[in-house]
Amino acid sequence: MECTTRLENGFTIIALCGEVDLHFSPKAREIILKHLQDKNHVLVDLSAVTYIDSSGVASLVEGFQHARTHDLKFALVGVSKAAMQILQLSRLDKVFPIIANATEAAQL
Amino acid sequence: MSNAAQNSGLHPAIRLVENIGRKTVAAIEELGYVASMLAESFYWLIFGRRQQQPVRLRNVIAEAMRIGVHAIPIISIICLAIGVMMAIQGIQTLKTFGAESKVIVGLAIAITREFAPLIVSIMVAGRSGSAITARIGTMLESQEIDALRVIGINPVRYITAPLLLAMMISIPALTILGDFMGLLGGGLYSIIELKITLPIYFERCAAALSWTDISQGLIKSLVFAAIIVLVSVSNGFQVRGGAEGVGRATTRSVVMSLTFIVIADMIFTYFLNFA
Amino acid sequence: MPAASNSEYAIEVRNLDAHYGERQILNDINLHVHHGEIMVIMGGSGSGKSTLLRHLLGLNTPTRGSIKLLGQDLAHNSEQAMFELRRKMGVAFQGGALFGSMTVEENVVLPLCEHTELDENTMRIMGRMKLEVVNLAEFGDLMPSELSGGMIKRAALARAIIMDPRLLFFDEPSAGLDPVAAVELDELILRLRQAMNITIVVVTHELESAFKIADRITVLDQGMILMTDSVEAVRNSDNPRIQSLLNRLPRDDAIDADEYMERLTGI
Ligand SMILES: Nc1ncnc2c1ncn2[C@@H]1O[C@H](COP(=O)(O)OP(=O)(O)OP(=O)(O)O)[C@@H](O)[C@H]1O
Ligand SMILES: [Mg+2]
Repeated sequence: MECTTRLENGFTIIALCGEVDLHFSPKAREIILKHLQDKNHVLVDLSAVTYIDSSGVASLVEGFQHARTHDLKFALVGVSKAAMQILQLSRLDKVFPIIANATEAAQL
Repeated sequence: MSNAAQNSGLHPAIRLVENIGRKTVAAIEELGYVASMLAESFYWLIFGRRQQQPVRLRNVIAEAMRIGVHAIPIISIICLAIGVMMAIQGIQTLKTFGAESKVIVGLAIAITREFAPLIVSIMVAGRSGSAITARIGTMLESQEIDALRVIGINPVRYITAPLLLAMMISIPALTILGDFMGLLGGGLYSIIELKITLPIYFERCAAALSWTDISQGLIKSLVFAAIIVLVSVSNGFQVRGGAEGVGRATTRSVVMSLTFIVIADMIFTYFLNFA
Repeated sequence: MPAASNSEYAIEVRNLDAHYGERQILNDINLHVHHGEIMVIMGGSGSGKSTLLRHLLGLNTPTRGSIKLLGQDLAHNSEQAMFELRRKMGVAFQGGALFGSMTVEENVVLPLCEHTELDENTMRIMGRMKLEVVNLAEFGDLMPSELSGGMIKRAALARAIIMDPRLLFFDEPSAGLDPVAAVELDELILRLRQAMNITIVVVTHELESAFKIADRITVLDQGMILMTDSVEAVRNSDNPRIQSLLNRLPRDDAIDADEYMERLTGI
């Protein structure tokens, strides 16, 4: 359950993996917020996530809110079908910027 | 009911004995239940945090507001009034011996040792004890207690323990307030009759009082606090039968609290003075 | 998490008997619920549905038999294990059982406060997300007494799913709701299962709702299971008691005159 981060085209890409659940989401939240506080544009890559629960989604919401209030770009990448269904449940699929891969980030 | 039917053929005396026996068993059972609840409350207060199921400070404060802070006006008024009454009676009585100036000693000791803790506890039992029983009974009837349990929240930890702690803080604090208001009430009348000033009155009170007088009152008030919580909570958890059941339990709870408080007071007064 | 299932069944009930005092309420109940399945427990009034549910929740202890949830036997579980198990189950009670002294939002996040160390902001967002799910987003600050019946049921559901449980129990979701609200709640149950792959047990006596959401239906009658089978099989069953339940026919038992007179007169 290690997060990897890399820099690409001016975006920090945070790749979460494994199960983003009650145990892991506080850490994910911390990492996302840290990069946003450093004034980086952030892409969160969910393609290696096998399961995300609502605490994980809530962490993403917090990140997105922080980005919006600080004029930073924020998007989700590689959202799996399972993760999409969780987002759809609370209609967040219509709120988050969701892109298929990192190259699309230029259009944000 | 089936028991009554079985017994109907028996001699009335035997039936009486059997009834007494059954009531005794029920009382002992209830006593055991209450004792284990007391132990469990202390367990959660002490070890809850280690088990990651702490007693929430927020709950304790909320209860202390309801039990203690909101009772300040009524306790003040009543203790003041009682102080005045005691001064009137005391001076009237002592006048016959020409010893009315001794009233201050009597007032000071009677109020701190006896009346302040007793009056405060009786008021709180009436105000909060009944409310606690009604609240828990209603929660039981509306399945809120079941909801707590399925969420994994132990009702004793969540409800009883904060109440116990709040009560054991509030009642001694109110007793100190009651001490002061009672003495003040006595003073307001005494200064007129004895033609002294209020500062002198309080000076004489202080001279008449020792720490044991005040601490005796406070120790008692702690015991009364535990009695009120245990009686009202256990009655709340035993509510059966809807709104009517809640009403019945509330009445029972107040009557039981008052009875136990007065009996405990008597026992304590005896032991604290003679033993 | 859904992948990690350590037992074949999510719920396993064996030879369960239950009494209230002397009176036997449940008689030799055997029931298995698969992971991710929606099981509907149906039956007439007084048939023992709520009693069965209370046993499944570990609120009552059976007089005989065993209950396993997620592979764990309720009777032989330690306090700590039970506490852990309760994190994985959510319950929406018939009357909602919202805590009257808290706002709706505080009610919804209470399990999080008690079970997790999450940041308060995260908890608040999670609570509001669940209120979004049940369409109560604007009502988080109201007290339960200010909600309508249907809103209470939805708020109770939001609280039940706040921990993303693996088991969800729902007592009478559509009872007392208008048809539109009832249908919405059914849809919601289906969406929840699809998105979160929860195992759901629903107690109801609303036929339409049962047929719509159930994978399988268990029919209870006088404390016994008449049948447990797919919706189709239950619909086509030729058991007269089931048919009378389905067709809303009044009970038509043969009357034993002597016994009946005895009940009336007590002689
Ligand atoms: N607390 C209780 N004490 C004693 N008997 C009870 C209690 N609760 C329920 N019963 C009895 O158990 C039987 C089954 O009740 P239960 O509540 O399980 O029925 P139900 O199937 O849920 O009915 P409904 O659809 O009306 O809610 C009833 O005959 C009832 O009288
Ligand atoms: Mg029922």
